[in-house]
Amino acid sequence: MGNRVQGSLVVMAVAAAIAAGAITWVTVTRTAGQATRPARTADGKPNFSGIWQTLGEANWDVQAHEARPGAVTQPGVFPYAYARVPAAPVLALGAAGGVPASLGIVEGDGEIPYKPEAAAIKKENGQHWIDRDPELKCYLPGIPRAMYMPYPFQIVQSTNKIQMDYAFANAARTIHLDKVNEPPADTGMGFSLGRWEGDTLVVDVTHFHGNWLDRAGNFHSDALHVVERFTPITPDAIRYEATIEDPNVYTRPWKISMPLYRHLESNAQLLDYNCVEFVEEFVYGHARKQQLVKHWEGETIIVDIKRKIPPVESR
Amino acid sequence: MNKRLLALLGVAAVVMAAVVFMNLEAKPSAGDTALKTAWGEPDLQGLWAQKYQIPLQRPARDAGKEVLTDAEVAQREADREKQAATAPKRGERIAPRGTLEDLTGAYDTTFEADPFENPRPIGHRTSLIADPPDGRIPRLTPEVQQRMREMREFQLALMQSVEACKKSQDIACFGVKPGPVSPRRAEPPPYYVAAQIMGDRVVNRADGPEDFGLSERCLSGQLPNIGGVHQIVQSPGAVSILYEGWQRVIPITTSPHVPSQIRQWRGDSRGHWEGNTLVVDVTNFSAKTDYQGSRENLHLIERFTRVDANTIEYVVTMEDATAWEKPWTVEVEMAAQDATANAIYDEPRCHDGNIALKNMLIGARMDDKAYAEGKGPDPATMCYLLCGTGNPEYAKSRMEGRGGGAAIDGTPASSSGRGQGSPGR
Repeated sequence: MGNRVQGSLVVMAVAAAIAAGAITWVTVTRTAGQATRPARTADGKPNFSGIWQTLGEANWDVQAHEARPGAVTQPGVFPYAYARVPAAPVLALGAAGGVPASLGIVEGDGEIPYKPEAAAIKKENGQHWIDRDPELKCYLPGIPRAMYMPYPFQIVQSTNKIQMDYAFANAARTIHLDKVNEPPADTGMGFSLGRWEGDTLVVDVTHFHGNWLDRAGNFHSDALHVVERFTPITPDAIRYEATIEDPNVYTRPWKISMPLYRHLESNAQLLDYNCVEFVEEFVYGHARKQQLVKHWEGETIIVDIKRKIPPVESR
Repeated sequence: MNKRLLALLGVAAVVMAAVVFMNLEAKPSAGDTALKTAWGEPDLQGLWAQKYQIPLQRPARDAGKEVLTDAEVAQREADREKQAATAPKRGERIAPRGTLEDLTGAYDTTFEADPFENPRPIGHRTSLIADPPDGRIPRLTPEVQQRMREMREFQLALMQSVEACKKSQDIACFGVKPGPVSPRRAEPPPYYVAAQIMGDRVVNRADGPEDFGLSERCLSGQLPNIGGVHQIVQSPGAVSILYEGWQRVIPITTSPHVPSQIRQWRGDSRGHWEGNTLVVDVTNFSAKTDYQGSRENLHLIERFTRVDANTIEYVVTMEDATAWEKPWTVEVEMAAQDATANAIYDEPRCHDGNIALKNMLIGARMDDKAYAEGKGPDPATMCYLLCGTGNPEYAKSRMEGRGGGAAIDGTPASSSGRGQGSPGR
């Protein structure tokens, strides 16, 4: 078969798929598993109810980045900055400890417009990832980070409230479309006020405490103000955009965008990732009477790595 | 710095809202009778909290009497007011400034809900338990009784060398026979420390996080949640419930539960509609949870019915043939709360601010060090529970106000029925 014929078939298939998608979008009630899932809610809004997750490497680093040998690295045998090797804490994980490349989710040049002093903090954060990243301690990830962590979340969309429940740390937030008073204090997941602009759900989020945006040390302060926009691409994909403003840290507001994908498994459901229990050793291990990790110096964990190279035949 | 002080400073730093919701009932408004959602399903949405003060189990004084007369309710309201007049108020000092009792009490009266502040009206029913008819939790199976005895023996062994228990028999020391330091101090407990057997804690030891109660580890927030404040949001196909500090999503589905090897702290929920009632079947609990003696075999059948604009009837049946001789059922009236107040704002951040657990562990290590250097008492003689809480009346009210958990004699507790009953969460 010639290339041109193949090409035409692809075009036709794509056109058919688009047409099918459009029809579905407008009229058809689809089903996933047991639940019926109309493209629009009873009050005519796009139907975002379901289980969602992003694809991509934003939680490793929201900025455009090349692949790295580890989330933390050390100088290799050669002194060049581009020839670093994994640092000891992630060394034993081999290829599973590396950071995949990504074009990032930051619009424009892929870079966050940090103030100079904030850029220095970001750099230092990255070098102290294991000590400083709130994710490793199972703390609430905040917004927008919860939206692109490698865990699913569920949207339960009603008329006056839209609930977002996250697998990670059992985190949750309510998007209020109705009138509510402000919370009395800062929050981990923010205070979300929503409104519809046509088919776009716009959510204004404030009342944060300082937090991280990813595992690379990108961060914000308690002055963070996020404006999110959820726009349907198809019934099973949402264009997620967020404008991020924090005059303490950035020189100007900046924007991220990525698609959110619907979990289409017929048995998809949110399972809890209750990591509080999993991090007890990480957080409190130094204060045990008999320590499980034998090398604590004060609050510093000293990790000795023993690794046996398996014989070739067992691989 | 004093270990307890360190611990208490930490505790104070944990944001655990002792917000009292009881007087936030929404005012019924004319026309607010639409009890269906826009898509035609029964509408359970809103912010809800238990309407009346009713004990989980029927107290002995009400034996044989399912409901109180209006006169009896009025009398009990009056009695409570009298009690409230003499009880310590929020933030009130209950012991001389600077004493250990002062510190302990300062936390309790500042951060814990005052049982006499904005109280719920006293209900006519004498127990939340509607079945069995005696209003009591059915007898525990011999296996669970044995487990509780073993845990209790372990607990007493660790308390027998405690100095404070030689002087008084307050909450923590109840039933303790003074003796030498037990070799069991070096042993793990016979079972996972899931239940709060006595007071706040089970084990008078702070060797690691596992010696602490689930609420101190920020692992509480369990089902069934009986009467606690919660926010319900619905969509076709799912019901989300946001409790005080944790959430769950109930899928509306006829599909079977997740495989039995998947265990969760809050189980696996499956909902369906029966007329106007949301029926939720919950299984697959973790062996690390404990509700009134039931662990991984707990099976809940919850029924949520909107009976009028301002009321949800919540009925939950507990089944576990390995824990109780028969199933039992609780019925609670939930009243709509003023949702604009946003009073639900109590997100799952207990762990984020849990300086208390860290400081209590560090404090215990400081005790170990002081003892090793001959500068302090043997930690085996020290009390890490609630010994010496100054005001016996206050101690008594704390014990009585505490829901859930098993009583010290191994029988299920009489309680106010606030879920697992962990005001310290």
